[in-house]
Amino acid sequence: MASHFEIELDKLKNVIVKIGNLAESQLSEAVKALLSEPMAEKKEVKRTEEKIDKLDVKIDEICQTIFALQQPVASDLRFIMASMQISNEIERIGDLAISVIKNSKNIKDKHDLIVKFNVAELAKQVEEITLKMNQCFLDRSETTIGEIFVLNNSIKKGTDDTIHNLMNEMKSNSKAVVSGMNLVMVLKHLERISEHCTNIAEHVHFMIKAKIIKHEKFDDKQ
Amino acid sequence: MHKIESRNVNFFYGENQALYDISLSMKENTVTALIGPSGCGKSTYLRLLNRMNDLIDNTRMEGNILIDQNDIYEKSTNVDDLRKNVGMVFQKPNPFPKSIFENVAYGLRVNGIDDKHVIEERVITSIEQVALWDEVKDKLKKSAFELSGGQQQRLCIARALAIQPSVLLMDEPTSALDPISTSKIEELIHELKNQYTIVIVTHNMQQAARVSDNTAFFYMGKLIECDKTKTIFTKPAIQQTEDYITGRFG
Repeated sequence: MASHFEIELDKLKNVIVKIGNLAESQLSEAVKALLSEPMAEKKEVKRTEEKIDKLDVKIDEICQTIFALQQPVASDLRFIMASMQISNEIERIGDLAISVIKNSKNIKDKHDLIVKFNVAELAKQVEEITLKMNQCFLDRSETTIGEIFVLNNSIKKGTDDTIHNLMNEMKSNSKAVVSGMNLVMVLKHLERISEHCTNIAEHVHFMIKAKIIKHEKFDDKQ
Repeated sequence: MHKIESRNVNFFYGENQALYDISLSMKENTVTALIGPSGCGKSTYLRLLNRMNDLIDNTRMEGNILIDQNDIYEKSTNVDDLRKNVGMVFQKPNPFPKSIFENVAYGLRVNGIDDKHVIEERVITSIEQVALWDEVKDKLKKSAFELSGGQQQRLCIARALAIQPSVLLMDEPTSALDPISTSKIEELIHELKNQYTIVIVTHNMQQAARVSDNTAFFYMGKLIECDKTKTIFTKPAIQQTEDYITGRFG
């Protein structure tokens, strides 16, 4: 029979999985809003955002209770510490997905820009890293963590290159500035989402290996 | 250099082996916590450090225990001198049916000190060391039984300190005390560490984490793991230790 403490830990794990899935679906709505017309249903996005915020608070409360009543140590302590951080990162992913939707509204001739700068491929990669982020928390797999680091590197390079090309486009065509700037913002949001997923992978790594690797360079992490 | 060093220690109660091949070292001015489930051998090991187990019939010890590089189980060892150097505090406060002053002075007198000034100075210093002076200075002649449990335990620590040991053994010193008294004893351990080498047996995992520099985990008479307390409670190397400190067995 599972102890009361183990039941609490399971509860925490389930809430993290839930908030992670919500962030994943929020991002998927954001990508839809970016790549296709018409916009995603606003009410649903708003509702999901509220659910994410509530779960973020709930996770803080569960962790606070476990700290106060169970005094966790070793792997349990790392799991709870990581959970608190992961929850914050996921909540930020949810907010950034909303920002992607907002900026996407202000991009005119979206289809042309997206095709010209291959934004769809980048968006697909960000969806993939978000999926892997949820997966790595669940299966605690070092392989998945490594894949996230590689993918984040590729996304970072992709967004840098695309922003550079977009800047050149805006320099030569002043009519493209408003849409171009909004697309730059979208790219920056997507890059930040990828960074948050990478941070989560680092927290999971700490959880399973007891080693802090945040702020390490990409090559060192590998 | 180690203050206490155990080498391949085995211990037997009659036919029953209680400790298996324990090798464990402790540096000077550190606190080492011994943890483990009941019957794991931690108190038996603690009592070996001042030869208290010699008082139990039909027991046998193998291996070496060195304090300040001297093997305390050598025939030439004077056990009285050893126990002067290695003081002990027990689970339940055990003051003598004497006054507060006499409780602390007793150890000095039986050790041949009869100079009143020396005794008075040592008694006051010891009571001050355990942060009890302000509470008892006006009632030194009253019976020690009039003190609270926490005060009695601090008095017993003062009694142990009066004979100026260099090692202090504590066998679950706070298990019979309330949280306030426990916290005072724990603070005291932090203070005393600067002058003494302390070994404490505790069932309270959080206490081990709070007061000790190093933690040794015993299980079924074997030393499973000993490391810095910070390491034991954050990333122990052995799964058995992890399972014990996270409450999954034991």
